[in-house]
Amino acid sequence: MKLQIDRENIENIQVGSLLIIAVIVFFYFILGLQGALSALGIMVFFVLPFYFLLGKFNLREDEKLAFSFFIGAGIFPAIAYWLGIFISFRLSIFITFIILIAAAYFLNRIKKKIS
Amino acid sequence: MKVKRKHLELAAFIAVYMFALYLWTLPFQHNEMPYGEFDAISHWGLADFISQTDRTFVYLPKFIDERYGGDNSFKPHTLWYPPPFHTDFAIISSFAQGRFVPVYLTNAVFATAILISVFFVIRSLFGFLPAILSSFLLTFSMRDIMPYLWGQWPERFGYAFVPLTLYCFYRYYTTYSKESSKPIYLYLTSLLLGINLFIHPLTFFHSILGLFILFVFLWLKERKFPLDLKSILISIALFALLMSIFPYQSGNVIASFTQDSSSQDKVHSAFSRLAQWAPNAEDFIGSVPASYFSFREMNGLWTLPFLLFGILFLAIRRENRDIFLLAWLFSLYLILHRDLIGKISFLHRSLSATAHIFVPITVIGALSIPKLIPVNKDIKKYLIYAFSILIVVLAFMYSFPAANSTLKAAYEHPFVRVNQDEIEATAWIESNIPEDGVISLIGPPDEKKFRWLAFLSHRPFSNIVEYLTLEQYSENAQELFSKELHENYVMLDYTDIGRLQDRSHAERWLQFERIELADFTLLYDKNNIRIYKYETPN
Repeated sequence: MKLQIDRENIENIQVGSLLIIAVIVFFYFILGLQGALSALGIMVFFVLPFYFLLGKFNLREDEKLAFSFFIGAGIFPAIAYWLGIFISFRLSIFITFIILIAAAYFLNRIKKKIS
Repeated sequence: MKVKRKHLELAAFIAVYMFALYLWTLPFQHNEMPYGEFDAISHWGLADFISQTDRTFVYLPKFIDERYGGDNSFKPHTLWYPPPFHTDFAIISSFAQGRFVPVYLTNAVFATAILISVFFVIRSLFGFLPAILSSFLLTFSMRDIMPYLWGQWPERFGYAFVPLTLYCFYRYYTTYSKESSKPIYLYLTSLLLGINLFIHPLTFFHSILGLFILFVFLWLKERKFPLDLKSILISIALFALLMSIFPYQSGNVIASFTQDSSSQDKVHSAFSRLAQWAPNAEDFIGSVPASYFSFREMNGLWTLPFLLFGILFLAIRRENRDIFLLAWLFSLYLILHRDLIGKISFLHRSLSATAHIFVPITVIGALSIPKLIPVNKDIKKYLIYAFSILIVVLAFMYSFPAANSTLKAAYEHPFVRVNQDEIEATAWIESNIPEDGVISLIGPPDEKKFRWLAFLSHRPFSNIVEYLTLEQYSENAQELFSKELHENYVMLDYTDIGRLQDRSHAERWLQFERIELADFTLLYDKNNIRIYKYETPN
């Protein structure tokens, strides 16, 4: 059972990576490097942290993907904005990313301990 | 690597979404200079200021405050919108190292996010085919494209939250029982509602009303009341926490909502509108083109029979998922008739959410027709595919051309966008003119240029010629004009009028420059742009 889940995860990662690369290449061709970097930024900052965070809840894969984008686009900038009042905005983006990834990691550990 | 059906479905959606983004990014694929109406300037400018200065702020900088300082009724001189939407742009702008393309691309992604949420919700409830066709049709939604081009950016993104929020609540309600429940969906409802408020209050109110109607409709059918006190309290706490993150802006939402009673006089005529979907175009002359209120021009008349059949089909079948769509539709109907209770502000903007619910119902209507034809199951399957192809063909024939030409030709006139010479001048202004130094602009024929230049240079600009033509200044216009010239910096920008065939406009200002600014100090002289300052003689 566990082996099957792992294999499915690997397949998801492989297909997901291919699609992400395709999207970035697409934006590179229509809008240049800034377009490609923007697409990458949207995925890294808005989708990725909350995708990991929502991964700890009992949600379907498509639900995690959809919700992570919409939640990420609201919560990530809210944290970065507040931090940006006190420190450099660029630094605040980086710190926000670390905070959220760390939160996902610790949530995962807590969940594992409970189960 | 084994490719599964779900992977193919995801790839198909990404292909449709990339096609949509290709279309929606046409206005800046070959000309990256910024564009849009005054709203667009403010949205772009807020993001740009954060990314360029590498800091956020509580109180508005002077160049923004002079126009928007009073827009927050609760706490003047602070942001009138909650900051996340513009901060998103600033994050991507900082990361991708660009002032224009990253912001405009992020906005295009947000404005087309309705394709994501509709695809996700319709796929979950009705399957892949209705979902992918709905997303595809939404690509050509003119009522989304037009405000997107004009600058009502946060709204476009905010509307994408409505189906998602309703979906989360729907999942919570339909999976709830005394023995088990999935409170995560209630928490997500609350979280998405809070973020919806961050993005745009108007769309937040759509979600709230939608939730209420959905609850009533489901309750009437199921007679189930999901009273899980703990989950409800956690959800309320979560929402309150989100509201408290930006108290000034949350306060502004409440203050604006309670103050809005500007159009009580319209209430009397509004009752006749109950039989109409859209508000009267005549009430919005000057602000929105009449075509915006036309079903034929915005949705395409070919969709109407499928839409009506879809509504009928859902109303007769009335499964929970059908009730979901009907509740969403009815809540939008109520929102569009809120002028009956005197809430008219942004009424026409609510109309822009029409396609989001019309399109899925249209697709479901079209794909339901084969189900009623008395043939065997296999033939029915092929008929459904045939109807799907028919929708795609009709969309390409009747909906694609208008969307494509509108996006392709958007703001293509060189005068309506700032040019490279002006951007260079604004960089000089930012480095050489103090933050409170006001620049009086003379020259550009497009009235929005002064705001673009202000937001590009992060300095206040005055559209001196524009305001001196106002009747209230006519008596002492010359005196005011002279006073402003002597107090402010004066920028003469010939980059647009220099290219006009008719030289009289340029000659007029050249003569003015020679005579009126003879004793001013020339500070900047490059690419047909000159900046002067009057220096008081010692």
